[in-house]
Amino acid sequence: MAASTNKHVAQKRGVAAPPPGPSIVASLFHRPLPLYLSAALLRAVLLLYGLWQDANSPLKYTDIDYLVFTDAARFVSRGQSPYARETYRYTPVLAWLLLPTAQTTGNPFWDAVLFHSGKVLFATADLVAGWLLERILTMGSTGKTSRAISGMDAARARKFAAIWLLNPMVAAISTRGSSEGLLGVLVTALLWAVLARRVTLAGLLLGFGVHFKIYPFIYAPAIVWWMDRERMAAGSKAPTKAASKQTSNVTWINRIVSFITPARIQLAVISLLTFLLLNAAMFILHGTPFLTHTYLHHVTRIDHRHNFSPYNTQLYLTSSLSSSSSSSSSSPHPSKTLQIESLAFLPQLLLSTVLIPLALAKKSLPSAMLAQTFAFVTFNKVCTSQYFLWYMVLLPLYLPGSSFLRDRRLGLAALALWVGGQALWLQQGYELEFLGRSTFVPGLWVASLGFFLVNCWILGVIVGDVGEGAVL
Amino acid sequence: MRERITFIQKLGDSQEPSAFKINGGVISGPEIDAVREDKLTFALDDLPSELHTLLYGIHELHVRWVSPVASETVAPFLARLPPGFHLFFTPGKEGVAALNDLCPTLSKVFGSIECSTPTDSFTSLPSDRFSHSAALQYFQPLEDLSRFIQYAKHQLCSNSNSRCVARLDRLAHASSLEVSYDTISHALKITALWPYQHQSVYAASQPQSRTEVGVLSADMPPGLEPNELGISGLLTVLDQDSESSPVVFSFASRHQDANSGFSTSFLEPTGLHPTLQIQLESNQPPSDDASCSAHAYLTLPRNIFADKYQLADDLFLASKNLTALRYISQPVDLEAPEYVMKSWGSAVLLELSPPDSEKAQSWTAGIPLHLRYLLPAKGGYESIQIPYPAVFWACTAEEGTKFPSNPFDRVNLGYDGLFGPRTVFWHVEPRPVGGNRLENTVKVPVLDLDKSQWVNAGTAIVVLAGFTWIMWKLAAVLFRSGHGGASPRGAKSVKEKKQQ
Repeated sequence: MAASTNKHVAQKRGVAAPPPGPSIVASLFHRPLPLYLSAALLRAVLLLYGLWQDANSPLKYTDIDYLVFTDAARFVSRGQSPYARETYRYTPVLAWLLLPTAQTTGNPFWDAVLFHSGKVLFATADLVAGWLLERILTMGSTGKTSRAISGMDAARARKFAAIWLLNPMVAAISTRGSSEGLLGVLVTALLWAVLARRVTLAGLLLGFGVHFKIYPFIYAPAIVWWMDRERMAAGSKAPTKAASKQTSNVTWINRIVSFITPARIQLAVISLLTFLLLNAAMFILHGTPFLTHTYLHHVTRIDHRHNFSPYNTQLYLTSSLSSSSSSSSSSPHPSKTLQIESLAFLPQLLLSTVLIPLALAKKSLPSAMLAQTFAFVTFNKVCTSQYFLWYMVLLPLYLPGSSFLRDRRLGLAALALWVGGQALWLQQGYELEFLGRSTFVPGLWVASLGFFLVNCWILGVIVGDVGEGAVL
Repeated sequence: MRERITFIQKLGDSQEPSAFKINGGVISGPEIDAVREDKLTFALDDLPSELHTLLYGIHELHVRWVSPVASETVAPFLARLPPGFHLFFTPGKEGVAALNDLCPTLSKVFGSIECSTPTDSFTSLPSDRFSHSAALQYFQPLEDLSRFIQYAKHQLCSNSNSRCVARLDRLAHASSLEVSYDTISHALKITALWPYQHQSVYAASQPQSRTEVGVLSADMPPGLEPNELGISGLLTVLDQDSESSPVVFSFASRHQDANSGFSTSFLEPTGLHPTLQIQLESNQPPSDDASCSAHAYLTLPRNIFADKYQLADDLFLASKNLTALRYISQPVDLEAPEYVMKSWGSAVLLELSPPDSEKAQSWTAGIPLHLRYLLPAKGGYESIQIPYPAVFWACTAEEGTKFPSNPFDRVNLGYDGLFGPRTVFWHVEPRPVGGNRLENTVKVPVLDLDKSQWVNAGTAIVVLAGFTWIMWKLAAVLFRSGHGGASPRGAKSVKEKKQQ
């Protein structure tokens, strides 16, 4: 019972968080303006610093991806296909969103402003995502939502939203011109729409999100599972007891029939239609290049340049065996190794689309979505640091009440292991990439497996927390 | 068959007609310091049937092999290419699809040519600038001509004709070999060049062929124009002339000697992003009365590549003493490992940016390159050889200057088609570093096969362990509180919180 007393202490501490005396930290969260202003300021400073570095150093602040997007936008503005730009692997919508970056006025100052306007868009998306986080955290107080959302007071909500809004890593990634911020706003908006019972909006966002970056499809089962009849009908009523009564003494057919609710059908139809219509439109506009670059590339890619994925070294080994076995018969166990690789998606999809939604979605949709994303990224065959943003945006919704905040030592240990695991890997990567040392095995391999285990441990704790009902 | 054998000496070295004995189709003379070029022209019907069939589907074809061993040359043999096996060709009317035999035939003739089909392995050359350049390009490093010598012996030398065999064996010391064919001349020309060295003048005529022997020197006859080369010496047609006849001629040449050198090396440590350093002896353009710019032309095997997007930023380029990326063959996959690439690699033309100074000074340009992942190997490292680039100053000749074809002219070099017709190439001589080879070695880290036996099992075990841990936690959740809403304990704690 030490854990529960700990929890009480922590909660007291949590409640007492805005200290009685007026401090700078407290006043930052007391009203919305200071927080959002400082988040905007942080991004403005980074953006301007980036402009300075780009203009004065051969090492660029701007991300290479931003040059890919803006090149694609330039092709589009000339009436060409965005896929004329090599390595453009996104929906044409992204290039359209960045069309202002392709405009020229003849005035170098305004041209530069236009060129970097995409970064402003991404940074703004960050802020909107942060604002949506605050809305989600305070949702219970409107009285319109179920018990699952506790509705914290706005100042405390802003404090957690600040984990995203004032996170230097998030601000740096979007001001360097990476589009992940757009995804953050899409996912938080989707979650907000679902929690606010705005099914049509949720369907539109889900369909668009999957069209935009595929991976949000994992949220569909969680949302559908969460949207049961009681929750959607009752709104503010306490639905959980009714739900648990119903589960006894019913036949399978009854269960299936009661599973099919108007809201679920509405979500499925709208999201599928959105996804299909968008894809049909893009296919009509750009043909097969759209399909190959946006979707098929991710299936057929053999790009195994070292990344955080636990499968990385194995994929390097397997791809070399399969390529050499076609020319010579030197590979020892081609069928066996190929099998392991093609099975890799099983644990990933089983966890992120079936088991986590099933076990956790009804307990806490936001935290279930965090766990899904965490599982998806951790078990993915390719994993780079910008994927971490996918789950980082959901972190502020899980952390209040989590073991990591209740037990500060646990939280710090998790943070240290997560950062340390990456640092170890990056150090090995540096030796390979810049010093030319063959650190593939054991260095990078062990580092990526270690980081994988750290992530699994963290995911296990998250799952436990949601199961206990300790989180929002 | 026609044959032309030419010895070319340096300026000031010349021979008297009396120094040569011409007798019964054989010319012999004193030992001289010279470059030797043998040019053989075959009618299509004289060729082996497999070549005959192959050439039928080809509009034009130029194979240029350059030895990786450094050697000295003299004017007019100045045009330079990176060492290795170059192929430029234009398919015939049937198109490139009809040429699936090309790669196997090339392998049969030259040895291990690692192309699969022209469609997969060749890159396109720009066709909009220069009408005479070929449509497709291929390149790979090739150490020597041993396989070609075997093949040619088998095809050309009848019944252990020892003179024929001996002559082909001499190709082992050649510095370059060219095989050219085009439908207009309907003839296959083979040109071999031996480096500047001490040698005796000797040539014998072949039956049913015309053999012309020239013993020539570089010369500067009066009235020589700036872009012209002068040649003087003696010409003899074997079996026809009883004595050599003197000749003097001059011609405009698009290839000139810049009279300076360069060497290349990789900046250590190379890592996976090696920078090729080009050390040039001089920053002074070779011609005062023309606008000149320094260039490097690289043919990069498929294991290494340049990123055109990285080479688009002016600040970055300036920091490496580069002006601009003028050309890169397309497409260059920026991600794929070496062992899945079918394309031969990429050709890159970069304009270099010499430091601006009145006085001549040596300087260095850096070309950032990127290695592909190579096949795993025992020991964890693989050595790859990157050929020296061709480095030259491209100067624009005066309006109206024309370069009619001359007996020693070379076109279809890969880079000549990227410049205008009035461009003169002043070649900077490649100088080897520590040895005699015109290539740089990079040690590429790869997955160590000696240590990789645990990778499959280890990955599977760790992934399974992580998966099992999460499954355990999920099972605990499902067991305790099912798949519905939060557990009573959780609900209680939330209530408590609300009360507080």
